[in-house]
Amino acid sequence: MGRAAAFFRAEGVLVGRPAVLAAGWLAANAQHLGQRAARLGAVALCAPFALGLGDAATGQRLAWSALRGMSEDRVAVLGEEYAREYLLPNIRPTGRDLLERARRDGCVIVVISDLIAPIVAPLADELRADHRVCNRLELRNGRATGRLVDPVVTRFGGAVLRRYAEDHDIDLSASRAYGAAEADQVLLSSVDGPCAVHPDRALRRVAVDLDWPVVEG
Amino acid sequence: MQTQDVLADRHLVITGFTGFVAKVLVGMLLEEVPRIGRITLLVRPRGRLRPARRRVEEALETSPVFRTLRAQHGAGLAAWLSARIDAIDADLEQPGCGMSAEARARLASTDVLVHCAGLTDFAPDPLKALSANVAGAANAATLAEELGVPLVHVSTCYVAGNVGTAEVPETLTPGRAPSGAPLQVGAETRALQLACRRAASVEERINIGTARAQALGFPNIYTYTKSLAEHLLAQRTELDCTIVRPSIVECARQRPFPGWNEGLNTAGPLAWLISTPFRRLPTVPEHTFDVVPVDDVACGLAAITAAALTGRAGGVFQLASSDHNPFTFDRAVELTGLGMRRWTRRAGRPIDRGLLAHLDPIPVALDAQGPFEVRRLGRLARHLGRALRADQRADWVPSGVERALGPTLDRVGTAIDDVRGSLDRVEQMLELFQPFIHDNDWTFHTVRARELTAHEEVFRFDLSDLSWRDYWVDVEYPGLRTWCIPILEGERIQGDPPLRPRLQLGNPPAEVRVASK
Repeated sequence: MGRAAAFFRAEGVLVGRPAVLAAGWLAANAQHLGQRAARLGAVALCAPFALGLGDAATGQRLAWSALRGMSEDRVAVLGEEYAREYLLPNIRPTGRDLLERARRDGCVIVVISDLIAPIVAPLADELRADHRVCNRLELRNGRATGRLVDPVVTRFGGAVLRRYAEDHDIDLSASRAYGAAEADQVLLSSVDGPCAVHPDRALRRVAVDLDWPVVEG
Repeated sequence: MQTQDVLADRHLVITGFTGFVAKVLVGMLLEEVPRIGRITLLVRPRGRLRPARRRVEEALETSPVFRTLRAQHGAGLAAWLSARIDAIDADLEQPGCGMSAEARARLASTDVLVHCAGLTDFAPDPLKALSANVAGAANAATLAEELGVPLVHVSTCYVAGNVGTAEVPETLTPGRAPSGAPLQVGAETRALQLACRRAASVEERINIGTARAQALGFPNIYTYTKSLAEHLLAQRTELDCTIVRPSIVECARQRPFPGWNEGLNTAGPLAWLISTPFRRLPTVPEHTFDVVPVDDVACGLAAITAAALTGRAGGVFQLASSDHNPFTFDRAVELTGLGMRRWTRRAGRPIDRGLLAHLDPIPVALDAQGPFEVRRLGRLARHLGRALRADQRADWVPSGVERALGPTLDRVGTAIDDVRGSLDRVEQMLELFQPFIHDNDWTFHTVRARELTAHEEVFRFDLSDLSWRDYWVDVEYPGLRTWCIPILEGERIQGDPPLRPRLQLGNPPAEVRVASK
């Protein structure tokens, strides 16, 4: 018998900023001035994906590919700065309340994010999350290759979630999940207690159809 | 056996206490080896009002190194220290170390002499450098011989000289300079002294010393004179001598507290350069910047001293990072920029936060510095400044413009002169550091020191676990901004407030007797 967990999608539930903004901010802070414009251009290419046109995972891959060649040191230090400057002061009160309630109910807290590990770590620490599931940049010789390590977190759920639950002794039938975007539908469908928080139009429609609770901030 | 067990009840004589490394060493010994027999500090008096004892008392009561001890012992500090610390007026540059017979008698029970004193300026007056680094070492060696105790001599890894890309073993080849030329200490010292005495000014002496150092393959006068001292000690076959060579000693990572630094070291001026609008550091990105935190040096030095007491030392030990946790210049430059960025978010001026923090420093090749090359900018500033001088303006400024804008042009000219001054300083600094940041790529072997201290619980030397990113951004850069860069900007670093009542060490015993040798 595993433990009950509460899965929180960071984007939309805990913080308002989409991951692509973080990629853009890191790109705009490249070491060389000349690289900044080129990297920002690469991030801009994923705008259609961010608007829901096309596969979200491809959009994530494209956005983070802008960091190709950036040093691990820079990604780590600036990632932490981004989290402290833009995420921690703007944690959504509704998300925090839901998380605290889940903790009081004895759930293992898992934060899921499209962001990369150096950005998610301070957020997870601030929220005292037990685990975090996030994207990881592939590194070679201390520099980002521009690729994300598989699996890309965007649609976390299904078989990947079941394997994660097994590895961490989590009982999905006693767990709950909080999502905000259409991409979170798979996650919410995989647990006993799904909840849509500030949902986008597509997820709201699904939540109403399936009679999932909807929380507005 | 642990270092603290070996040093218990022993009598250590330490020179150079007013310097960076020795102060941290003494602080660490007092904290970690409370059963130490005695530490006698040989310190040069500063006139009659500040004898060695007073200088030591001042350091003990105001140096941040001893904060923990002061907090730990409170009102009982003087009594606790008096049982462990003695201070003697000494001048190591003089025969007999310039000590009185009474003072000399207080050293009768000495177990080991640790010679940390030296002149660490890169381009000092060669006569002063010879006196402090060579004569000082010779006199310390004579004292150790007379006392019949081992000598632990602190040198520098950079005596290896300009060897390009090379591995530097923990050895010394007596009588041979890095260039391969023979090196006879006596003849070398006499020739340099003679040449310097004929010189008309200090600048000329520095030029002579630098030229001689470079001819023998040394980066500067400092490494040249430290090397002469090593070769001189190697000739003293009767002496039980151990040479300890740290590389670039930088901010403490833990003790006395993270970031502690004192005076000007190599990274301080480089970090200062990067905290100015200067953004292009001529270096080779993949070359190693061999830095070692001061508390790791103190740990290694203490353990080697204990080893010297038990006959396990001798020869050369190097305390460096390049062979087991190398830190490259591209990382150093980038992390300095990131450290500056983090620092300025907390404590920077608006111009730092708004502009400089977003213009990252970059390593560039020496011959590819582009339009912002320091020399080029300096020349431009010099021409502009000259053209804007009041007596030059008549040649090209129309009289109407001169009448309307004369005072403004004066102010612009003065500002450009200031910029030129800064650029000259940057240029000099880069020239001074070029052998260390560009020309050479040393890998210093540290196997002896790491093996010797592998079993140590406290006094262990091993930097394998050091995260350069965390150290550089969160410890080194803030440490430099707090303790070093203000000095470069002409400020004075304030120590802690003196104790009330003032700390007074008790009278030294006529002859200190501790454990049997």
